[in-house]
Amino acid sequence: MNVFVLLGLGAAAGLLAGMFGVGGGFLATPLLIFVGIPPTVAVASQANQVIANSVSSLQVQWRRGNVDLRMGLVLLLGGMVGSTAGVSLFTYLKRIGQIDFVIAVLYVVMLSTIGVLMLFESLRTYLRRRRNPEAPRGKLHTHYLVHRLPLKLRFYKSKLYISALLPLGIGFAIGVLSAILGVGGGFVLVPAMIYILGMPTAVVIGTSNFQILFVAANVTFLQAATNGTVDIVLAMLLILGGVVGAPIGSRLAAKLPGVVLRGLMAILILTVASELLTELLRTPSSFYSLGSREVLP
Amino acid sequence: MTRLAIALALACLLASHAAAQGPRIEPPAGGLVGPTLGGPVDSSVPPSVPSQSTTPELVVDLSRPRVSITSAFQGESILLFGMFDPPGEIVVVVAGPPGRETVLRKQRFLGLWLNIGRQAFDDVPAYYAIAASQPLQRLLARSAGGEILSLEDRLSSVRSVGQREHQELTKFRLGLVEVKRQEGLYPPAIGQVTIQAHRLFRVELPFPSRLPEGVYDVRTYLLRDGKIVAAVSRPLPVGKVGFNAQLASWATHHGPLYGLGAIVLALMAGWIGGAIMRRL
Repeated sequence: MNVFVLLGLGAAAGLLAGMFGVGGGFLATPLLIFVGIPPTVAVASQANQVIANSVSSLQVQWRRGNVDLRMGLVLLLGGMVGSTAGVSLFTYLKRIGQIDFVIAVLYVVMLSTIGVLMLFESLRTYLRRRRNPEAPRGKLHTHYLVHRLPLKLRFYKSKLYISALLPLGIGFAIGVLSAILGVGGGFVLVPAMIYILGMPTAVVIGTSNFQILFVAANVTFLQAATNGTVDIVLAMLLILGGVVGAPIGSRLAAKLPGVVLRGLMAILILTVASELLTELLRTPSSFYSLGSREVLP
Repeated sequence: MTRLAIALALACLLASHAAAQGPRIEPPAGGLVGPTLGGPVDSSVPPSVPSQSTTPELVVDLSRPRVSITSAFQGESILLFGMFDPPGEIVVVVAGPPGRETVLRKQRFLGLWLNIGRQAFDDVPAYYAIAASQPLQRLLARSAGGEILSLEDRLSSVRSVGQREHQELTKFRLGLVEVKRQEGLYPPAIGQVTIQAHRLFRVELPFPSRLPEGVYDVRTYLLRDGKIVAAVSRPLPVGKVGFNAQLASWATHHGPLYGLGAIVLALMAGWIGGAIMRRL
């Protein structure tokens, strides 16, 4: 595999990450698959890259005091269990030869959901702003069934008194996602923290990065130990590309209005999703493929 | 450079041969007589092969002693060359290490293509190529021993794991060959063995970029009237070298340690990268 292709890919993912303020992993992994990296290696090495991404973001957030440590630890507990279960599931799927298919299907489902949601959201905001520039904001805090669950904990920094089961469950789901798709999961975790947990926006990024860092480390370790699918060289190229790409992306982003930016992002995500879907629907050129080779002693 | 080495080696071969054939001159101790160049005589060749006399009828060498897979490895061609006592025909068989291969078959399910069928085969050579100085069919039809196998013959002997209908098994076996062909691991026809001056022969052995590691067996046969009169076997090690090999070996033999290393490297890269980028 050409080193410069991978570096460029890392830079492109970093650029997008910087532009849209997300990890970029959920776009980088499909791109890696498109250029011919085996999906299992793409996912596991991407998890390795996520570590670098979140530590450099956490550096800043921690200094600013934007990490709700208690919430982060509860999320992390769920995340550790989820990612460990996720890697076991990954190993099982790999053994029965279905992992590539599952990765592709999950990416299609996830990307198209996010893409459609983002597209609608940005269109709605755009239309509403044109009609009524001073639109009233919705309620900050709503109370659902969620607040009646047991095991309530007080989260001072987030100014919340909610059941610990909720962040545990969210952490678990993100952990599974992280293990199978190699993503940090920030693009799911952040909205979940804001809309489901009702956390204040200021601490959301820092806290999510805290959880993502350790979950990604757990995934990297387990993938390397059980499946041997982590490629350090690939991960380092992606990291290097990201370091260069991200600041350029964030500078570009500053020049564009948020609605336009989110609209563009949505279109990009949907394009990648439809490309993955076509791969699944298209009649393959060869019906046969080989699983991993075992040399008997 | 390689050309020169080959030319020199051939010259030596010729010289030693001439010395052996010509008036009896005591060869110098440890001189360049056939067996040194021809490599060890294979002990696994069945007793049907006549034992080699002091003057070997067949000497073989390779332009490289091994295939080294570096990170920039794009496949490689190795020249096999040698000399034999005429008359006769030459057949070269190159086989990679045997192993278990699992063949997956895609089928349509709810409009999506996914792997539904799978079949494992044991004793599948990682690589298999055969070349001859005459059309193979004719040579093999006349060789009664069944020692030299065409790819089809070789694969008909692989053992399927588990039970399956015969017709289905054949489909999977054909699928296996199809994939291996695409990867260049079962080259359908490596160039013919060319014979010069009735006694020198050479053939290029092509190896693709995604080459399984292991010790390959390069076997050269001298046939006379459909009978094997001499055979020389040369092991050809194929392996990763350098930094690549080190990393790959860590990844497979020390997975947990490799994982920890990956984490530490990513932490450092992220930390330093982040710090630098904020300064700019």
